[in-house]
Amino acid sequence: MADPYKPRAPFAPWDRRTLPGIFDVEESARRVGNYKWTEMKLFEALGGWVATVPELDVKMRLGTHCYKHAWHAELWHKRLPELREMNPERLTAPANDAMVRFIEAMTEPEGPELTIEKLVGVYRVLIPRFIAAYTYHLNGTSEITDAPTIRSLKFILQDEFDDWRDGEMILQSLIETPEEAARAAAHMQKLEAIMIEAGGIAGIGTLGSL
Amino acid sequence: MRKFFPVEDLARDSRFSKITIADRMADQRTALNVNVNGDADGPSKRTNNMRLVPSRRDASDGARGLMHGIFVGEIQALEGAGRTCWDFETGTEAPFALKLDMARQCWDEARHVEISVKLSDWMGSEIGQYAENTVLFEAACSSDPVLRLAGVNRALEGLAIDVFTTMKEFGDLAGDQYLEFCEDWMLADEVTHVKMGSDWLRKITENDPERRKKALEFQNVVDKLFSYGGTRSDSQESPIGLARRFRELAGFTDAEVEDIAEVSMQALNERKVVVGQIREAKRLADQSAHK
Repeated sequence: MADPYKPRAPFAPWDRRTLPGIFDVEESARRVGNYKWTEMKLFEALGGWVATVPELDVKMRLGTHCYKHAWHAELWHKRLPELREMNPERLTAPANDAMVRFIEAMTEPEGPELTIEKLVGVYRVLIPRFIAAYTYHLNGTSEITDAPTIRSLKFILQDEFDDWRDGEMILQSLIETPEEAARAAAHMQKLEAIMIEAGGIAGIGTLGSL
Repeated sequence: MRKFFPVEDLARDSRFSKITIADRMADQRTALNVNVNGDADGPSKRTNNMRLVPSRRDASDGARGLMHGIFVGEIQALEGAGRTCWDFETGTEAPFALKLDMARQCWDEARHVEISVKLSDWMGSEIGQYAENTVLFEAACSSDPVLRLAGVNRALEGLAIDVFTTMKEFGDLAGDQYLEFCEDWMLADEVTHVKMGSDWLRKITENDPERRKKALEFQNVVDKLFSYGGTRSDSQESPIGLARRFRELAGFTDAEVEDIAEVSMQALNERKVVVGQIREAKRLADQSAHK
């Protein structure tokens, strides 16, 4: 065995983490507040929709996904005080007014014949936006100073990918005719237009600027 | 999507047939013990031991019917918890942590639907083979989240503890390890849900005795409704027993368990009177038909 008292480098040769990150504490907290607000709106909507969809498999998926997004909101809620926001409610806010309108438009469908619209809003618009915002945060934040956020982002991204896959497969099984495909596309276009105005989950600059 | 969703709008596919508790109680076939062939077995064949055990004459059909009841009950419990996530504003109307608990319950109930679908298939019945009583969701329609917790988490999920305990014992007695295993897992979740309801009820109404009183009164009403005319009680005449030990684990006090036992016995006795009247009316009708 090697001499235990021989000095070793604090970072092993294979540990390539670096200090710099593109977010300071305030910016990180602001984004986390936007994530929490949006995850909350999403879990509430998924829970509310369970009673409105007649398809049994969709009911069960919505119930399962409802919890996952509630858990994400809880993770962000707990992270906020660690980012110097002692009143987490203060930063639990939408990125802008367009984001509020997006959620209103996404949660508008209620009738039992509108399952496609409900799922398109979540799985073809909002969750891809979550994946994008979280990936940008994961790739940009300091790997050392912001390690707790990174840990949460990795857990959450795993859920987002799993849920996106579930939702997309259900949608593909529900869309059986060109007319239904057109319905899905029209609803997606309507919601995307509002999301473009919002700039993403964390507002303009969610994915930085090119 | 609107806030507060009426029970009559619950979305179902074409296999389901919804009925109310009044429809079920008014169905004379229940009181007259009509068998699968449509023949009335009559009072003489009714025994005083109706507990759902494998030795009961109609045990197979009874267990299948109860499993279907569990299945639709889980769907409604999922829908009820989901609506509590949506219907109330976070912070002003319901605490964030309460809504997180309701979301967790959604996941649990979704798993219970999955489990009961597979168990129904295992037991040889199909989705929609029995009617769906929507009384469970009705208890989840209150405009006060505390009343919902009392009605759903304490009364309905409390009944689920009794039902799962009975079904677990049924699996044990019948040598059906698959059934016993699944019921035991669901029972663990239900104890958690009841405890959740007990804890929130105490916490939210800590300084509001009037609201607590109202919630407990609502729970009593729902408990009596869920006794289904004596379907659940300490008596062997009830198919489902009262699971006292698991109720204690879930946060019920001894006095609360005694109250439920009393309400259930009352419901059983009231039902016996009604059954007696229906049978007497049938006897008289048969008599005059033979004259």
